[in-house]
Amino acid sequence: MDFLRSLMIAASGLKAQNGRMRVIAENIANSDSTGRTPDEDPYRRKIPTFRSKFDRELNAEVVRLGRIQEDKSDFGIRHDPGHPAADAQGNVRVPNVNTLIETVDIREAQRSYEANLNVINSTRRMLQRTIDILRG
Amino acid sequence: MAISDLSLFQALRTKMHWHQSRQRVLAENVANADTPNYTAHDLKAVTFDDSLKSATAQMVRPAITSTGHMQLQPASAFKNMRDGSFEITPEGNSVVLEEQMMKITANQMDYQAATSLYQRGLGMLKTALGKR
Repeated sequence: MDFLRSLMIAASGLKAQNGRMRVIAENIANSDSTGRTPDEDPYRRKIPTFRSKFDRELNAEVVRLGRIQEDKSDFGIRHDPGHPAADAQGNVRVPNVNTLIETVDIREAQRSYEANLNVINSTRRMLQRTIDILRG
Repeated sequence: MAISDLSLFQALRTKMHWHQSRQRVLAENVANADTPNYTAHDLKAVTFDDSLKSATAQMVRPAITSTGHMQLQPASAFKNMRDGSFEITPEGNSVVLEEQMMKITANQMDYQAATSLYQRGLGMLKTALGKR
């Protein structure tokens, strides 16, 4: 039945956006996680990726959260001589997380999530109409 | 004679089936709205010519000579086609969410029209039977 398949596909979209939200939350939560010693790296920003996968059971392309990759860009530098992780010049390396970018990413994930919810609602209404035929 | 043998119901059934398949394709598009290199799809509208051709075409069917044989069924009766979208993101995704939302709403409305007609048809049969 195609309707149930539509619901499953939309659910895969919800799940993927959910995972993306989790990664973004991780980034924001760790936006101040520096190392404890000058040699230790601070937190490196993570990037969620998506890939479409052909689901043989559903006979349709569903979406899955792919490998979570790391942002290779340089760490930020803050002058803070009293910090335990400060080097000889008194500089501390801070995570390469930009909260502004993460906030925008959250909004985007939210929109995509809502779009998938819309599909589910619309499919459900169509299904309900089909059942209503029985009532006559 | 089953109800689906009546041409009105048969036509509505095909239409409802088409909208169902289309809903699946649109759900695929929305779910993959953020997947790199994904191209949006849509179902080709069924035209009168197509249905006439398929009705008059000589179908070659394998004969079923044993109980173990399965009946051959086409994978999907409706044609899938690439969506002619005018926007492609730098990562190669051609899904425009707004466009898909509009299509889903239109699909839903058309489906509701078909089910309403189906109900009316059933009501007419009931009237003819004299049951109120």
